[in-house]
Amino acid sequence: MTAEQTYDTVDMMLNMGPQHPATHGVFRMVLTIDGERVVDVTPHIGYLHRGSEKLAENESYGQVVTLFDRLDYVANLNNELIFCRAAERLMGIEPPERGQYIRVILAELNRLASHLLFIGTYAIDLGAMTPIMYGFRERERIQNMFESVTGARMMHNFIRIGGVKEDVPADFVPRVRALLDDVERGVHECDRLLTFNEVFLARTRGVGVIDVPTALSCGLTGPSLRASGMAYDVRKDYPYEVYPYLSYKVPVGENGDCWDRYYMRVLECYESLSMVRQCLDQMEEGPVMAQMRRIARPPKGEVYVHGENPRGDIGVFLVSDGTDKPYRVKVRPPSFCNLVSLRPMMRDAYIADAVAILGSLDIVLGEVDR
Amino acid sequence: MTEQQPPEEQAAPRPAAHRGPPIEVAEEVLDSRGEHTAGALRLALRDMALESGGRDDVPWVRIGREHLIRAVESCVRSPNLRMDMLHCLFAVDYEERIELNYVLFSLGNGHKSLLKVDVPPDDARVDSLTGVWEAAGWYERETHDLFGVEFDGNPDMSPLILYEGFEGYPGLRSFPLHDYEEW
Repeated sequence: MTAEQTYDTVDMMLNMGPQHPATHGVFRMVLTIDGERVVDVTPHIGYLHRGSEKLAENESYGQVVTLFDRLDYVANLNNELIFCRAAERLMGIEPPERGQYIRVILAELNRLASHLLFIGTYAIDLGAMTPIMYGFRERERIQNMFESVTGARMMHNFIRIGGVKEDVPADFVPRVRALLDDVERGVHECDRLLTFNEVFLARTRGVGVIDVPTALSCGLTGPSLRASGMAYDVRKDYPYEVYPYLSYKVPVGENGDCWDRYYMRVLECYESLSMVRQCLDQMEEGPVMAQMRRIARPPKGEVYVHGENPRGDIGVFLVSDGTDKPYRVKVRPPSFCNLVSLRPMMRDAYIADAVAILGSLDIVLGEVDR
Repeated sequence: MTEQQPPEEQAAPRPAAHRGPPIEVAEEVLDSRGEHTAGALRLALRDMALESGGRDDVPWVRIGREHLIRAVESCVRSPNLRMDMLHCLFAVDYEERIELNYVLFSLGNGHKSLLKVDVPPDDARVDSLTGVWEAAGWYERETHDLFGVEFDGNPDMSPLILYEGFEGYPGLRSFPLHDYEEW
């Protein structure tokens, strides 16, 4: 009798999370392991479920913006923007141009902050301790700028239905220009330090590969989908706000592995920097808020609006019954759908790469669980 | 002699008092992109569509629940549509019916559309789309958690965002916001 006939191998179950530093929040996955290979993975979510969609049905439209702040808590302004756009579509109002420029500047700065956080935390997931210092230093500068504009470091509630809360401070433009120069130096530093580092390449090249058909079937969007080679960017394909006036490239990867997903975000940082610069050049004086009733009361109807968040394609479905509270708010959170693709990515990966693959998706659990 | 005046026409009984300003209804207008998609949808779903409409570039079509799989497959196969992504799936509770919305995107052809399926709340059950898109699995589990809709054919319907043993369906309008029994 050979060994194979005598001994039966049993797959081992390994629990990871919810209290695990590399899961970026309260996320649990159960890995089924055969030796050193991951056979299957079962993600468990819901530890941060706060019922935001239910709460939104009981708040007025202006108050729902604050709930959106708390979905993706590292890209608050992008989230506020998508809800305000949905409500504006329903009410048929268009924010004034200066308001739109301020929104796009803030959204792109927030995208930069979010990607810088990703670069830092992803490096720490892979055991590199230094880049998080650089990433956080630059993110801190952006947060300070947000504080001077909106009064808050994270939960801004600055983008309102019809525009923005108030005009930016008088020295906004020169200060943002100085900030952009600093941040560009910082991004370049992170880029030089990490991107082509040999150990980093060895950990991420060819790991967690996903092809375009599988990615589409899973609903993967954002930089993670572009890393697989599909040039889909809502800002480019379905332009909104002042994005059509800006010129920028959409970085597209080739292999769809962890390194590509990381590098797409680094390249997007450079694009965002250039977009903010263009906005500052084009912005003119004017009102920042549309003329509208103080209490938003959209007419009866429904609308589906989507936009590009740092993590992917966020969608909002808004049903109004004509009163001052939404009848139903549904968020299509990009991280939720990106997590679905964890399973095909992890199949047959090494157990040591599990953290590298999860980290490359850049999930935010506040958004996954809502 | 006085002629009897005909009685003044009685005003139609007013519905339950709505306080606040009168309710406006938004106009639904498709733009050129939406018209293009709507035309392709009409062709693909010509024998199934019950009702259609849309706003901006997102047309919607309401179909019967027995046609769901067939409708989705014809949206995927139709050369004009080629819907390659289930962008979102969610339910809206209108109390007398639960409306399931399937947001279908075609990234290649640039189409966006909504498929609407109505199910009665006492028999909320529809076929699962897990065979068509992998993303459908989690959306269906979420919709089952919050609205109690059953998806026939989904291999794993364990709770996704609620904990095991949670009583009731918190997405429904009838579920209280506060004051419910907690463990």
